Amino acid sequence: MLLTFARNQEKAIAVWLKNFILTMQEFFLFSVRAFISFPKVKRYWRDVLDQASICGTDSIPIVLVSAISIGSLLAIEVGNLLEDFGAKTMLGRSTSLTVIRELGPLLMGLMLSARFGSRNGAELGAMQISEQIDALRAFGTDPVAKLVMPRLVAALIMFLPLTALSDYAGLQSAAYMAEHYHRLDPGIFWNAVYPRLAPKDFVVGFLKAPVFAIIITLVSSFNGFSARGGTAGVGRSTIKGIVVSSGLVLIANFYVSKIVLENM
Amino acid sequence: MIELREVSLKYGDKEILKNVSLTVRDNTIKAILGPSGVGKSTILKLMLGLIKPNNGQVIIDGTDITNMKESSLYSIRRKMGMVFQGNALFDSLTISQNLGFFLRENMKLPEDEISRRVTEQIQFAGLEGYEDQLPESLSGGMRRRVAIGRALIFKPHMILFDEPTAGLDPVSSKKILSLISSLRHNNNLGAVIVTHIIDDVFNVADCVAVLYQGEIIFDDVTEKLHEAQHPFIRSILSDKILEQ
Repeated sequence: MLLTFARNQEKAIAVWLKNFILTMQEFFLFSVRAFISFPKVKRYWRDVLDQASICGTDSIPIVLVSAISIGSLLAIEVGNLLEDFGAKTMLGRSTSLTVIRELGPLLMGLMLSARFGSRNGAELGAMQISEQIDALRAFGTDPVAKLVMPRLVAALIMFLPLTALSDYAGLQSAAYMAEHYHRLDPGIFWNAVYPRLAPKDFVVGFLKAPVFAIIITLVSSFNGFSARGGTAGVGRSTIKGIVVSSGLVLIANFYVSKIVLENM
Repeated sequence: MIELREVSLKYGDKEILKNVSLTVRDNTIKAILGPSGVGKSTILKLMLGLIKPNNGQVIIDGTDITNMKESSLYSIRRKMGMVFQGNALFDSLTISQNLGFFLRENMKLPEDEISRRVTEQIQFAGLEGYEDQLPESLSGGMRRRVAIGRALIFKPHMILFDEPTAGLDPVSSKKILSLISSLRHNNNLGAVIVTHIIDDVFNVADCVAVLYQGEIIFDDVTEKLHEAQHPFIRSILSDKILEQ
C-alpha cells in the first residue's frame, strides 16, 4: 500500500513537473512574440496611449498613497531608532537610500502588480473565454501584437516616471515627518540626502522599473491568455497572475539590488 | 475548397478526432452534425489553423496549412469568415466599430470604403438604427447577425458557422437560417455549419457529415441521411420525427 502511494506521488510529481516545464516554454515563446512585435508599435500607437493612461496616469493615486505612507512611517521608525544613538541627523541619509533604492520602486511594483496586473488578467481572460482572442486570430490579427505589446510598451514607458514620483513622494513625506514629528531642521534632513546619494543608488532604483514592467505585464497577460473554464477560470487566472507577478517582483527586487550594488 | 485528410487530434489522453477526412467544396453548404462536446467546433478551428492536428493534413484551396507558421496563416484565414458560437464580438466597441474593426486592422482601405462596407453589412443584417449601440444592448439574434456581418465584410469565399442557431428563439433561428441560405444565392459563398440541431441541416445544408465518437460516420448529400443505417443516425432521425 505504501509502495502504491509512493508510486502515485511519483507519478503526480512527474505530471506536475511536465506541466510546469510546458508552461515555462509557452511563457517564453509568448514573451518572445511580445518583444518581436515591437516594430508594430507605430500601428498600435492608440492602444499604447490607452494603456499608458491606464497604467500611468490612472495609477498615480495608489502610487502616491503607498509612497507617502511608507515614507512617513520610515521616517518615524528610523528616526526613533537613530535618536537612541544620538544620530538623528542621519535620518535623511537612511530614509533616502531606503526609499530610492528599495521601497519606492518595490511598493510601486507591488501596487501596479495588483492594479495593472489584475486588470490585464481579468480583461484578457474575459476576452479569451468569450473567444474574442480566437476571433482576432481567425480574422488575421496577431493578438499578442494587438493586446500585449501595447501594454508592455506603455508599462516600460510609464513605470519610470511612476518610480520617480514614488521616490519623490516618499522622500517629501519623510522630510515632512522629520520636521514635524522629530523636530529636525529641513536643512539638516536634505543635507544628509543630496550630497551623499551616488549614481548607483539611482541606477538600482530606476533599473527596477523596466524589470517590473516586463514581469507584471507579461505574467498577467500570459495568465489572461491561458484562462479556461468560464468566469471562475478568469478569476483563477487573474489571481494567479497577481500572485506570481508579485512574487517575481519581490525576487527581482532583491537580485537587481544585489547585482548592481556588487558591480558598481 | 477545404479538405481535412485523416486528421487526428488528442487533448491529453482524450482522443477528440480519429482519422477524420472531410471535403467542403466551393459554393456548397456543408453541415457537420453531431452531439455536443464531440469535437465539431474543433473541426472549424482546425480549418482556420487555430489549432494544429496531431496527425493528418488540413488543405485550403490546395495549400497545406497543417504546419504553417501563424504569420503565414493570416492571409489564408482571410479567405474564410468565422461566426463563433458566442459571437465573439468586441464588447467595448459599437456595432459599426465591430463590423469595421478587421477592415481597419488588416486591409489598407480608404475610410469611405470601410464606411460603405459597414453600411452594406448593417443593411444586410437589418440592423439600421443600431450602428452606435454596444453589443450588450442587442438581442441574441441581432448579435448573431452582427457576427455574420463581421465575417462577411472581408468578402470571403467560405464562411464557417459554429452552432449558428444555438440559444436563439425559433423566430431568430429562422431569420439566421434564411440569412445563411441567402448568402449562397446572393453572394455565391460556401459555408460550413457545425450544429447539433438536425432541423438546421435539412433547412440549409446541401451535404452533411455526421461526427460521432470522434469519427465521421456519414458524409453525403443531405437527402441521403434518411437512408443511413448507423444506429446513432437512426436515433437522431427518429427523435426528429418524434419532435415533429
